[in-house]
Amino acid sequence: MVFYLKHTCHAALLALGLLAGSHALAGGPPPKYPVADIPGSLRENAHAVVRLSDETLLVKSAGRTIETVRRAITILDEAGAHHAQELVYYDQLSSVSYLRGSAYAADGRLLRTLKASEIGDISLSDGFSLASDGRGRVADLRQPVYPYTVEFEYEVNSTNTLFYSTWQPQAQEQLSVEQATFRVLTPTELPLRYQERDLPAGTAAARTSVSAALQRYEWQVRNLAAVEQEPDGPPVGETTPVVFTAPTQFEVQGHVGTFTTWQALGLWNYQLNAGRDELPPAVQEKIRALVQGETDERARIRKVYEWLQANTRYISVQLGIGGWQTYPATSVAATGYGDCKALTNYCQALLKTAGITGYSALVRANKEDIRTEFPSQQFNHVVLCVPLQKSAKPDTVWLECTNQTNPFGYMSSFTGNRHALLVTPQGGRMVRTPQYTAADNRRERLADVYLDAQGSATATIRTRRSGLEQDDYEGMAGSRNLADQKKALAEHLPLANFSISKLSYTQDRRAAVPVITETLGLTLPGWASVSGRRAFVTPNLLSRWHALPATVGERRTPIWLENAFSYADTVRIHVPAGFKPENLPAPVQLSTAFGTYSSQVQAQADGTLLYVRRLLMPRTRFPRTEYPAYQDFRRRISAADKAQIVLLKTDA
Amino acid sequence: MTTALLRPLALLAVLAGSGATTALAQTDPIKFGKPEMKDFEAKNFVADSTAEAVVLCDYGRSRFEYIEGDFRVVFDRITRIKILKKSGYDWATVKVPLYHSAGREEKLVNLRGYTYNLVNNQIAKEKFDDAGVFKEEANSNVTLRKFTLPNVREGAVIEYAYTVMSDFTFNFQDWQFQESIPVRWSEYRTSMPTYFDYKIMMQGYVPLAVSEHGEGSMQATVRQSGGYTGGGFDTQRVSGSASTAVIPVKTHRWAAKDVPAFRTEPFMTSVRDYVSRIDFELAGVHWEGQPYRAVADTWDKINNDLLADENFGMQLKRGGFLKEQLTPLLAKITDPAARVAAVHDLVRKSVKYNGRDLYYSTASLRKAYDQHRGNAADVNLLLIAALREAGFQANPVLLSTRDHGLVNPDLMPLLSRFNYVVAHVSLPEGKEMLLDATEELVPCGMLPTRCLNSIGRLIMPAAADSRWISLAPQQRLTEYQQIHLTLDDKGGYTGKIHSEHGGYAGLAQRDLLREKGEKKFVEEMLHGREGWNVSKYQFAQRDALDKPLSFDYEMSMTAGDAQAGLLYLRPLQHFGNSKNPFVHENRQFPVDFGCPVDETLMMTLTLPAGYEVEELPKAAAVTLPDNGGRFMYQVQPAANGTLQLVSRLSLSRAVYSAEEYANLREFYRLVVAKQAEQIVLKKKS
Repeated sequence: MVFYLKHTCHAALLALGLLAGSHALAGGPPPKYPVADIPGSLRENAHAVVRLSDETLLVKSAGRTIETVRRAITILDEAGAHHAQELVYYDQLSSVSYLRGSAYAADGRLLRTLKASEIGDISLSDGFSLASDGRGRVADLRQPVYPYTVEFEYEVNSTNTLFYSTWQPQAQEQLSVEQATFRVLTPTELPLRYQERDLPAGTAAARTSVSAALQRYEWQVRNLAAVEQEPDGPPVGETTPVVFTAPTQFEVQGHVGTFTTWQALGLWNYQLNAGRDELPPAVQEKIRALVQGETDERARIRKVYEWLQANTRYISVQLGIGGWQTYPATSVAATGYGDCKALTNYCQALLKTAGITGYSALVRANKEDIRTEFPSQQFNHVVLCVPLQKSAKPDTVWLECTNQTNPFGYMSSFTGNRHALLVTPQGGRMVRTPQYTAADNRRERLADVYLDAQGSATATIRTRRSGLEQDDYEGMAGSRNLADQKKALAEHLPLANFSISKLSYTQDRRAAVPVITETLGLTLPGWASVSGRRAFVTPNLLSRWHALPATVGERRTPIWLENAFSYADTVRIHVPAGFKPENLPAPVQLSTAFGTYSSQVQAQADGTLLYVRRLLMPRTRFPRTEYPAYQDFRRRISAADKAQIVLLKTDA
Repeated sequence: MTTALLRPLALLAVLAGSGATTALAQTDPIKFGKPEMKDFEAKNFVADSTAEAVVLCDYGRSRFEYIEGDFRVVFDRITRIKILKKSGYDWATVKVPLYHSAGREEKLVNLRGYTYNLVNNQIAKEKFDDAGVFKEEANSNVTLRKFTLPNVREGAVIEYAYTVMSDFTFNFQDWQFQESIPVRWSEYRTSMPTYFDYKIMMQGYVPLAVSEHGEGSMQATVRQSGGYTGGGFDTQRVSGSASTAVIPVKTHRWAAKDVPAFRTEPFMTSVRDYVSRIDFELAGVHWEGQPYRAVADTWDKINNDLLADENFGMQLKRGGFLKEQLTPLLAKITDPAARVAAVHDLVRKSVKYNGRDLYYSTASLRKAYDQHRGNAADVNLLLIAALREAGFQANPVLLSTRDHGLVNPDLMPLLSRFNYVVAHVSLPEGKEMLLDATEELVPCGMLPTRCLNSIGRLIMPAAADSRWISLAPQQRLTEYQQIHLTLDDKGGYTGKIHSEHGGYAGLAQRDLLREKGEKKFVEEMLHGREGWNVSKYQFAQRDALDKPLSFDYEMSMTAGDAQAGLLYLRPLQHFGNSKNPFVHENRQFPVDFGCPVDETLMMTLTLPAGYEVEELPKAAAVTLPDNGGRFMYQVQPAANGTLQLVSRLSLSRAVYSAEEYANLREFYRLVVAKQAEQIVLKKKS
């Protein structure tokens, strides 16, 4: 599920390099970027080394910027070869003035210079949009022998000043940086706004006046060693040096605004989209009839939302300013489709007809939350927020308008647990989307396993998932056909040998958080391993948790878990006649800062064995220093989850 | 459907005259703009309850028009689809590919569409507004027109119709009967002048309900253009004239009924090899009063054309520039195989494969060499040229990669079936080798996995010598592990392991090692091997690509709590197969591994002092029918308190039929179960 507002994907931080213009001289040009010059510390654990990166953002006016990039990067091995390919993004609001490149051998000898005819121009269809104007200039300087160095140089002329550059010379893992510089030149009356993060000590902005009319800001980093993505850690891009920049004033296709506060950003958005909520009389009548007689506010909203879901669908069209400005409501009324802006605007208009006020709310969906302390265009999606007016205590309904099966009021992991900017006539207001806690995100599993004397078994398993735990199953349960459901499940079941005899899903979208219940029947040939007189069984049928890999060296990043959750498993094992337990695993009980775990097996009076496992993980963020303790917690859970029951043949 | 009807690729026998002229006289299966009430009744979709949408009717017609002295192909299509679920909404967004070349392009005309919804028991009709047609480049010869239908809801029926006008008679519209949703009726009719000789290729696993063939005629208006004669004051206007010509045509009508949804399965080559469809290739043209002119032709002609082609054969003659590099390189090597390997190595390190699979060079070998970059043909034609320069008899082999689809030698010769070229080299004593230089890690004499697709066509200097050549790999996917485990009395153990990844396993592991580096490679191996501690490791023969990659390591695993008197252990748990790769119960299509498989495990287990064996797994031997494969497992006590365990698995073929799937799945079930069996040790009393 992706429903993005258009976002200038600053085409992966592209790079540049000085071009050897004089290589025709007798004796050849002096060598550039010899690989021998790279300090050993930068080669360690790196597939590529940024030798030199030089990026300049020149603000010509509130409505025009020029971004100039030069970058040289040494490719150490095949896994770094993608750095030798360049893609420069452009669209209706921007153009690429030039893209040039050269390749150098390890000793710094010029291998070749890109010819204009080798630079491609491709459509960057995002795969889900019906239409989008994104395009890319592309170049490929990959070489057959490692190591080698490539230089790229390009310039992008933009009339879309909603976005300024984000400078992040080390956006990926296993990439080191020898030297990188970023500067912004801006008219004095258009001061730069910026936010720094994870910069090495002593690399704050140097600000100088070039002239009375022109200001210069500059950052430089040197010798950044390669880093690696760590398990249960933040994405690499969240932990390496970065400078975010944003305009104070901007102008896009005649739409002028300021970004100094969230209030102002919201106001601009409001004005850009104002007056596009007119509905045809026929639709208005339908909505009035739909809610007539319904006095409960929430019920009225639900009716309108469900009508929206039944009568519209998501189709993305992103062209020019259309990346930020909605199609009018009349267009959705006519075609029954729209993108996130259009459908949210339409829903807002429908609710207005029903006498209810909603506000569009900008969010950054499916990624890390926005940086609330830095007002700027960081959003990629929009939802509708409806504060209840008649409710006794403050209450808000959140509506995802692009999904035809989304439960009413549910934000899912896509847009839940984060900030949103409410767009109101008075301007923007920062609020929080619904929080989903361990009590919401539950998985309860109840299994009966019938074992036979040969070690084969049949099992019936009922798994109830709620809240964020059910998100991944929503698409599958709601709409995929049985053959696809079986196929998807089969590929993920952690069992050595099995056949699915039964599978069905039921959904409860009316609960406080949505619930999906999976009923699964399995035949498990050789589930128990039988050796002579003994049979071995792992009672934890489907919920085994793996330990984390051993760490080498010190943990670099904090622990980031996806979401809080709680699991409960109960497995009843029906032991075949003629067997009795020889050995049951000892009960385990763990209580830590990260969460609590317990598991035990008990022989019941009726001869069955009852396995009960509980895991509660109420928090998601822990400091780096806690990692060894977390690893230990996981190791102990993993060991307990693998524990076996030994059954012994009693007859013969 | 019974499997007896399953038909792999087959040339359709076209029976002229058998169906008389009825083929196109049939009434149309669908009338555009006239939805049927039955398509809105739930009871008619009970059988499709799990599908997201159903194609009710897909109806295409291709015919010729004669305009201004030229034939063009007119393709009309009407498609009607029932949307059953919200997840089926994507079927309302349509892409029409249009071919263009050399300034000419196919044209999309008369695009119409409707969405029908049932409102108050009446069918409400919404018209598609063709302002919403977007254009997108798919590749340098194909643009897509994309559009979406309005007001699509659950239960809606959508319908669209369009016509594609094409000047490209060689690019006759193919037809696909099968989709990823069920198809109630799919029909294709063609009518082509007898001047055009099309070869018709049918493939797939779905039986046809209709296959009719006949003859008829079409009318063509031949205009004599008007103009003026004379000049000055004596100019006279001459009116144009038109005469009607009757042109004989061949007609065909094919239809499939109730076609099941197409599903991909693991271990498949290209979907194109399995889906039911019909393809057309222009073999020749035969104008009245003129001799037959072959267009796509005999192998001899293809051979000669290729050899004369600027982007193929001619390039092979221009390898002279390599001499400078080759002469010193080969000066001291006398063994032919070693000379071949040296040339292969040189080419591999000179040109980086850019990921594009083509059988012809797009520029010149010299250019690819200078740019250090090129497509598959640039690399491998350069290899051939270099081998020739080095004095070998080297020739190109055309093939189709696994993604591109299977080549059937029984079908008519067609260059478009191929998308790749490798080198064939003849060595003394009648030996021969296939070579590919596109991959850094593929040794001389081995083909990359993408090339393992049945057969290729060897293109020899004399057309008569050209022939089909098997691409079946010499190498297997070979895994060998020699393990020494020493147990302690708590169930923990230390181990010394020597493993060798050979053939295609060597390629895969070297690939991983290159991507991850040694440290991460080892870390990744530890996933799922909890409690393991690897103290030492060493890779060998990393660069000796023609030898297995060897990986030696020492590990230890401490056990949790001691068991009183009894130790249970599953010695192959982390060394064998832990999951049956065939998770699905049924199989429609063949299983294609690409190459045969061999896995050998030899383990020596040293028991802790004071313990003896209580239970040992029984020996087992399992075979697949028709020498398809075997599995052998044995564990027995040996000297000095040790146990010897041997497990060998081999799959002797690269491809197994769908009928053999159940056996294959059961075979793996037994392997997994056997390798999971436990040994029980008892403290000596």
